[in-house]
Amino acid sequence: MLESLHLDWSVFAIVLGGALVTWMTRIGGPWLIARIRPGRAASAALEATPGAVLVALVAPAALSRPSDALAAAFVCLIARRVPMVVAVVAGVVAVVLLRRLL
Amino acid sequence: MSMDSITIPASPRQEFAAGVVHCLPIVAGAVPFGFLLGSLAAKAGLSALDMGLMSALVFAGSSQFVAVELLDKNGSGGTAGLAVVGAILLVNLRHLLMGATLEPRFRGVPRGRAGLALFFMTDEQWALALRRGPELTLAYWYGVAVTLYLAWLTSTVAGTLAGALIADPAAWGLDFTFIAVFLCLLAGFWRGAGSLPPWLASAAAALAVHALSSGGTWHILAGALAGGAVAAIQAKGQGRARDA
Repeated sequence: MLESLHLDWSVFAIVLGGALVTWMTRIGGPWLIARIRPGRAASAALEATPGAVLVALVAPAALSRPSDALAAAFVCLIARRVPMVVAVVAGVVAVVLLRRLL
Repeated sequence: MSMDSITIPASPRQEFAAGVVHCLPIVAGAVPFGFLLGSLAAKAGLSALDMGLMSALVFAGSSQFVAVELLDKNGSGGTAGLAVVGAILLVNLRHLLMGATLEPRFRGVPRGRAGLALFFMTDEQWALALRRGPELTLAYWYGVAVTLYLAWLTSTVAGTLAGALIADPAAWGLDFTFIAVFLCLLAGFWRGAGSLPPWLASAAAALAVHALSSGGTWHILAGALAGGAVAAIQAKGQGRARDA
């Protein structure tokens, strides 16, 4: 129980930093739009950023071995058709089987 | 979605209750998700208190997954810590656009109250608020916000407490969980075939930088920049096609 109450100060610093930048993105939208109108290119770049970050995060790990790449492709196929929890569990089951086969 | 026939002004209490009810389906989806995040956080060595503080203060699901993944891989010290904050910022940049679309609703709300209300703006909060249209009230906003906040806080902390009990996650393929979760989040950002070029650019840039830099987080920045640049070029091309 005491372990669960342990506070890692370097993690806490990250949490505070993350909280501050996240809050700024939340209040920044109305503030900015009242002052500047972002052009078409700037809004498109901003809109594409979260997806691009996620792609960059998964690409090296997902393509690290054939079994994981196949399981990742499988998750992509089902991700928009089933609830997220189902897709994640199915992906984990698939990767366990594929790692054994390949 | 035809609720425009209702003309009787609702009391703040009714508005709050409507917000709570409208976000219950979202809560049902968010709770397992929060539980999963908590168990991954435990794997990364975070305590329930660490996780609780992150959920309470950052309160942004996708970016918390990214943060936990990076903490697991690179730790929290020095530049690795700065990279985590940078990654949180990059994932949450979309809030700028979302908030911009809500600006008409927050015109006339005092700055302090708007700043507090906007702290709770998640993807789901934004979608429900937008759907509410011009009748959006602060009471409705907080009905959604308080419910989502409590559900997220309790489920992530519970996940961390439970996750600490699982000894070797990799043996169960649980190391793949991150990849699967990120791919599901990614699917939520799919806007048709036009999404593909920025994503391919990001993947190419990330793989190249990852191979060159052997670990670290520079590949994330490279991917974000490449994806953003390609999206900007696409938008310019479309604008030109329309003008012609």
